[in-house]
Amino acid sequence: MNAIQINNVTKRYRDVTALDHISCSFEHGKIYGFLGRNGAGKSTLINIIANRIFADDGTILIDGLPAKENMDVHEKIFCMSEADLYDSSLKIKDLFKWIDRFYDSFDAEKAFQIADKFHLDVNKRFKALSKGYQSIFKLTAALSLNVPYLIFDEPVLGLDANHRELFYDLLLKNFESNDQTIIIATHLIEEVANIIEEVVLIDEGKLLLQESVDTLLESGYCVSGLASEVDHYCQDKNVIGNDELGGLKLSYVIGEKTQLPQGSNLQITSMNLQKLFVKLTEKGGE
Amino acid sequence: MKKLNTLIQYECTTSFKYIWLFYAIEYAIVLLIYVIVAVLTGDPKNAGTNCLEMNTFIYVGILGALGYSEDFKMMIQNGFTRKYIFTASFVMFAFIGGIMSLVDTVTGNLLHYFLPNYSSLFGVIYGYGDILPNWLWLFLLYMLTCSLFYLAVLTVHKLEKTLSLCLGVVLVGVILLAVALFRYVLPQSLVDDISELATRAMGFMGGGTVNYLFPLLTLFLLTAVFSLGAYRIIRRTEVK
Repeated sequence: MNAIQINNVTKRYRDVTALDHISCSFEHGKIYGFLGRNGAGKSTLINIIANRIFADDGTILIDGLPAKENMDVHEKIFCMSEADLYDSSLKIKDLFKWIDRFYDSFDAEKAFQIADKFHLDVNKRFKALSKGYQSIFKLTAALSLNVPYLIFDEPVLGLDANHRELFYDLLLKNFESNDQTIIIATHLIEEVANIIEEVVLIDEGKLLLQESVDTLLESGYCVSGLASEVDHYCQDKNVIGNDELGGLKLSYVIGEKTQLPQGSNLQITSMNLQKLFVKLTEKGGE
Repeated sequence: MKKLNTLIQYECTTSFKYIWLFYAIEYAIVLLIYVIVAVLTGDPKNAGTNCLEMNTFIYVGILGALGYSEDFKMMIQNGFTRKYIFTASFVMFAFIGGIMSLVDTVTGNLLHYFLPNYSSLFGVIYGYGDILPNWLWLFLLYMLTCSLFYLAVLTVHKLEKTLSLCLGVVLVGVILLAVALFRYVLPQSLVDDISELATRAMGFMGGGTVNYLFPLLTLFLLTAVFSLGAYRIIRRTEVK
């Protein structure tokens, strides 16, 4: 099967369970939003997929091959991480040169073109770059690799609005021209909401949901009105959160919409991805 | 294998250029000290230094430590397995150790030839004239230093600060205990036997003869033990 399959993965740090029996899959040819609050376990799972840390239990398969300590997956996956793992004493052009030699699928010409678009000075050493430009270098390296699975962990950290736009633009162009799976772990949900096709949401090390964005947005809605009327309408529904103001109430619901009672003053509005994320993680997914 | 070769090239290329920087600085400092001492004492014959290889020890020790702390992250970022990383690091240690031991052997013997007051490390212990054993001995000594520091840094990383400090205290305790055992507890005949074994392991045979094979084997075995330890730890090492 062409996918990253995560089977029952658990990771503990002393008394903290960072990942608790997580199982999900990232199918080939989709853009995923990998969402979760700070400390939810996103980076831990990404690091296990990228063979940077080890799971205590469970397995990860990439196109059916074990991801752990396996050079056969070297040309299949690349992870752009928030942490700076590159040799900081090397110049950017030399880093490109070495990545080009490490990966058959690296397009050095494209890397220099992207660097030029971002005005990244390739003659500077990595450590001499600002935090934003260090992120740009890491993005450039990732975008120039034609591997089947590309993972971005907080890709736009330190980037200004113009550079973020440029990144999303290049990412989509990349996705159109290459046959790739792209996984974006980010806090900036609204920015990626229009790009991602499917959401994988984790909270406190547990998988909350894996759903397509369209289905999520169709099934999530907000009911507002007098508290008593809202409560009555929502009594058999999956309410993921509430906001109250005086006698007025807003309930966030996931599930099928039923007709509003006749003569009621209730209002139903759609819920955006960010609100859905906030409410789901507030409640802890119960 | 192609990927491993590329990784080895990366390791060797990025470390190679610093060797010459190290030697340039080392000899510049030695020359400066020589000139200062000669001017101050007015006697250039007694000015100078010995055993310049000691500086290389420090360099290869740092190389061993950096072999983990800097390169490991870069290689893991680029998708290499720990087996590949370990192999590339050790080939790099051998490459750098080989070149530096060759340079130190040649310069040590040349300096002693032109300035008889200068003594190289190997020359002080085993005498002069045997270039090949000198080179191999230094090479294995540098490999031993690299592997020891590589193992030490991996252990510190694995155990974290508090446990590493505890381990350091335990090691010091073990050394002090061993000294006390040798001095006050073990029978003199056993201490003599162990001393003789250690002397022979360093190549000093009875009757004042020297066997170069024994110290080479001893250094090789110690390097193998430290390397094996480093390999076992790196296989379980995670990025922090």
